[in-house]
Amino acid sequence: MRQLLYDIVHTTDYDYRGAVSVSHHFLRLEPRETSRQRCIAHEFRILPEPSVLSPHGDYFGNRAHFVAVERPHCSLSIISRSRVAVSPAFLPDISETPAWESVRSRCRVDRTRATLEALEYSHASPLVPTSPVFSDYSAPSFTASRPIIDALSDLMTRILADFRFDPTATTVSTPLEEFFKTKRGVCQDFAHFLIACLRSIGLPARYVSGYLETDPPPGMPKLRGVDASHAWVSLYCPGIGWIDADPTNNCFPSLRHISIGWGRDYADISPVRGVLIGGTDQVLKVSVDVTAVGSVSQSLLG
Amino acid sequence: MLEARHRVLESLASAGVDDLPPMSDAFHGSRAIPTAGPSCPPGGPPGSFDECFGGSGIPRSNWSSLLDALGRHGSTELTARRDEGLRIIREHGITYNVYGDPKGCDRPWELDLVPIPIAAAEWRVLEAGLVQRSRLLNLILRDIYSGTQRLLLDGFLPPELIYPNPGFLRPCRGIPVAGQVHLHLSAVDLVRSPSGAWVAFADRTSSPSGVGYALENRTVLSRILPEELGEVSVRRLHPFFNTERAMLESLAPRGVSNPGVVLLTPGPLNATYFEHAYLARHLGIPLVEGADLTVRNERVFLKTLEGLQSVDVILRRVEDGFCDPLELRAESVLGIPGLVQAARSGNVTVANALGSGLIESPAFLAFLRPICRHLLSEEPLLPSVTTWWCGVATDLRHVLENLESLVIKPAFGRRRGQIWFGHLLNAAEKSRLRDLLVAKPREFIAQECMNPSSAPVWTPGGFERRSILLRTFVATDGASYAVMPGGLTRVSASVDDPLVSMQRGAGSKDTWVLRSEEDPDEPGHRSPLQTSVDRRLLGLPSRAADSLFWLGRYTERLEQRLRILRCVLGQIADQTADASVRQTDAVALLVQGLGILPSDPPSDAGDMDLSDRLLEVIYATEGPGSIPDLMGRIRQNASAVRDRFSGDTWRILGRLAPGSTVQPSRQSIAHALGMIQDLILNLAAFNGLEMENMTRGPGWRFLDAGRRLERGTAIVGLVTAASFVPVQEDAILGLVLEIADSVMTHRRRYFSSARWPDVLEILIREGSNPRALAFQLAAMRNHLDALESELRVGVDDRWSVLIEGIQSRIAAADFDSIIPLGEGCSPDGLVGLMETCSQGLAGLSDDLTHRYFSHTLPRIS
Repeated sequence: MRQLLYDIVHTTDYDYRGAVSVSHHFLRLEPRETSRQRCIAHEFRILPEPSVLSPHGDYFGNRAHFVAVERPHCSLSIISRSRVAVSPAFLPDISETPAWESVRSRCRVDRTRATLEALEYSHASPLVPTSPVFSDYSAPSFTASRPIIDALSDLMTRILADFRFDPTATTVSTPLEEFFKTKRGVCQDFAHFLIACLRSIGLPARYVSGYLETDPPPGMPKLRGVDASHAWVSLYCPGIGWIDADPTNNCFPSLRHISIGWGRDYADISPVRGVLIGGTDQVLKVSVDVTAVGSVSQSLLG
Repeated sequence: MLEARHRVLESLASAGVDDLPPMSDAFHGSRAIPTAGPSCPPGGPPGSFDECFGGSGIPRSNWSSLLDALGRHGSTELTARRDEGLRIIREHGITYNVYGDPKGCDRPWELDLVPIPIAAAEWRVLEAGLVQRSRLLNLILRDIYSGTQRLLLDGFLPPELIYPNPGFLRPCRGIPVAGQVHLHLSAVDLVRSPSGAWVAFADRTSSPSGVGYALENRTVLSRILPEELGEVSVRRLHPFFNTERAMLESLAPRGVSNPGVVLLTPGPLNATYFEHAYLARHLGIPLVEGADLTVRNERVFLKTLEGLQSVDVILRRVEDGFCDPLELRAESVLGIPGLVQAARSGNVTVANALGSGLIESPAFLAFLRPICRHLLSEEPLLPSVTTWWCGVATDLRHVLENLESLVIKPAFGRRRGQIWFGHLLNAAEKSRLRDLLVAKPREFIAQECMNPSSAPVWTPGGFERRSILLRTFVATDGASYAVMPGGLTRVSASVDDPLVSMQRGAGSKDTWVLRSEEDPDEPGHRSPLQTSVDRRLLGLPSRAADSLFWLGRYTERLEQRLRILRCVLGQIADQTADASVRQTDAVALLVQGLGILPSDPPSDAGDMDLSDRLLEVIYATEGPGSIPDLMGRIRQNASAVRDRFSGDTWRILGRLAPGSTVQPSRQSIAHALGMIQDLILNLAAFNGLEMENMTRGPGWRFLDAGRRLERGTAIVGLVTAASFVPVQEDAILGLVLEIADSVMTHRRRYFSSARWPDVLEILIREGSNPRALAFQLAAMRNHLDALESELRVGVDDRWSVLIEGIQSRIAAADFDSIIPLGEGCSPDGLVGLMETCSQGLAGLSDDLTHRYFSHTLPRIS
């Protein structure tokens, strides 16, 4: 099977006003292994040199790093470089997918480990409430016995029509209800909104943090959300598995999406989260560069 | 400015505590029947168990010797003993803070005279049930946090009970838990059912409170009922604490033989702060706040004056969700960034383990019985109150159909949530509740509504009956279990309050477990003495040093202020008969110059005379610099280091707390003078106790350095203010000497009436006068040098430069030429000198703060 190779450089620069005496950060920047993705190489360059850089798997199976800088510093620069091989996604024949209600009821009774794990993504989470507001929005797409991916596809088409991509409209702390009211936001808002719509009708959906290819292949349009890390959604379907869906671009991710990891919402998988001791204020600059460096056949990667 | 910063830090450190669950539980109580007379009549409310009397009105055997003993006293004697108990409680400063009530801070603890005796045989049964329950809850937590979550896969627990539960802390899954002990200390709340069986209705697993209050209750009762305690033969509580401490140490990370142990508190505004300080003192471990700890290299350290000292075991009284802003609740300022990572790396033991609060959710009660059979292959020995979790469809149906006989509570509510008593709701309320249950079934549980048992309490009017609940405690190190032989019995607040909650002002009782032949004197499985031989002592936390320094400053500031007020009010009272206008004006000007009165008087102050405005300063409850304000600051700083004071010192500090003085019906100079006199004597007692009792370590040095600095500043202020008062020098200097408590010194040295050069010699330059500036400077120099060598910090000559700068200026001053001689003279020379001194002293305070106390608070990026 053909795989695409990507080189990713994700740079996070903090400038602090006033010296920070100690900083502790959690990084979720190393792409995890998935059924269709392999991280071939990953490295961090962190300045100033941290006294601790300690990797571990987090609750959701993502690769997290604990970083501590324990001497006074006025800036922190985190460069994460990865090389990732991505295989095309398997998308089942839409009309063959199970009726969405059957997915919901199987999740309720099934006690396999896979379903149990999916149930972790069925409830309201810190940034994604569930409520009739969202199930009402889903309702026109999730009609009786409709195949689940067909319904999902319809829902995403409606979201694309109703909402505008607008990087100035929201911040990380804008509540989802606000996005629903103003109908403007960024990929994170789109993803949270789709998750809320799915969970509010009893379907397990998780938040995926990742990247998009920066420059489109010739003849292909540039996707939205290429300038920073991107976010999309994954929906669980017993028997099939997790199916990725990108509401910001109304598409089913395949070769142009690279996952870092996932959680219930952004709060579980934010790329950099930290607590500073000392300092008064900070300026943050983030840049992401994702370059296709060719394709390989899987066997060559060994 | 530094004071302001200090206040900000304090308020930040205590923010967020409102989110912590109080030690409150709701339970259905019953209308009790008040009875009068010194003998305790039988007959509780129908449908409840009478603790004291059996069916035929005969006292139960466990009560008979207690009743005999109490029966020897008449009503007057019982009331006298009760009052003595209240006095001890006030003196010991036993308090319980009530949230959201400005007057609720430091509410005196309520303890009834009559204990609850429990027979030895009955206790043995209960003990077995409590140990089994602790084992069971620990196994459940282990499966969820460290295991494979088989209980979910096998259908013993619904996933919907875990995943949406705010008590489920995902970052804590997979963290190594020393000895696999998630629950080092757990508490169970019990109610006695009408049939007489104890039934568990709540578990406290995050950081249970109450052990300290139970111990303090015993301490108080042993003072007011000493013979009874001996006659009845009651099991002692102390051995339990020795065992707990030893168990705590054995839970230290692998390879640590002499662990550093601390007690982590949210701070003085927390409901049970009294207990945190009390326990820390009793267990002999430092009481620390989150800001006192730091994580370096994935290890936890205590920030002490000596530098960072490693901490291996944290007994936490901070709710688990608040313990680490990096991985848990980001908004928490109570926690330690990186603590979860340190625990994950196996470098620190947190007890109870982070995440163990999960199982406090009352919904677990509905599932314990089958899990007990499954995991332990045992029948549950201690039943739980019948509980339905509405997240299960059949349970929801039952609840909707039987609302009348049920109590509805939040399923995940470890915090104070609303509680509905089905039988108290009208039709509309019931229908609203049903809608709520149907809309969010998972979020509610229902429990069988049970009348708690009743027991007598002693009131000034005689015995009354109250509902009681019992909180029991189990400690473990995984290998063995220790049940506290006693517990905290809580009593409903009034005869008709259905809720038993400390937050609602309920009272408490001591719990007497009766000794039998078989009971050992002490739980024998571990000798606490052996482990205590070479315990590692941790140093003084920087924050504690900061509080001691400010305690020194504020007690001295209060004393200075009181001396001024006493002197000035005395003058005013003296002059009413033979009013000398000039003298009164001088007093007014001096008071103004000292900044005692607000510089811009309130607009309605026009017709207020000086004495009224001074009384305002004494009695007014707000306004910076007022007497109550200073007393409040003293309490604030003293509270933050409460674990450092002996009982006697704390009692004296209690008399300096706001509200300790009686508000008169009419404010008068006479009353004010009496009150001032008392406060000055109490301050003298505090200073004396601290001089005689406090170890001459860094803590004492900071306290005393604060006092010296403040006294020096006060002398400088007094001289400056006096130099601006244009009256005969002997008139103003008489006041100055009195305020500075140097009348005797002056009289011994000079036989004339007071002259400026003499007074300045005594108050500024005289090295042997403990009230003189020179004396304060020498004492401070001494402290600062000693601190540098004791704490082995680098030598810094900044403060010697500052101190020597002042010393050389006053040594060189020619007091005869720089002083104002009578009216119209320019005070420039003297004022210039005093300004130099004042700036030097302020510089010293800043320097000390930056060098020793700077503890910046974390913030989230």
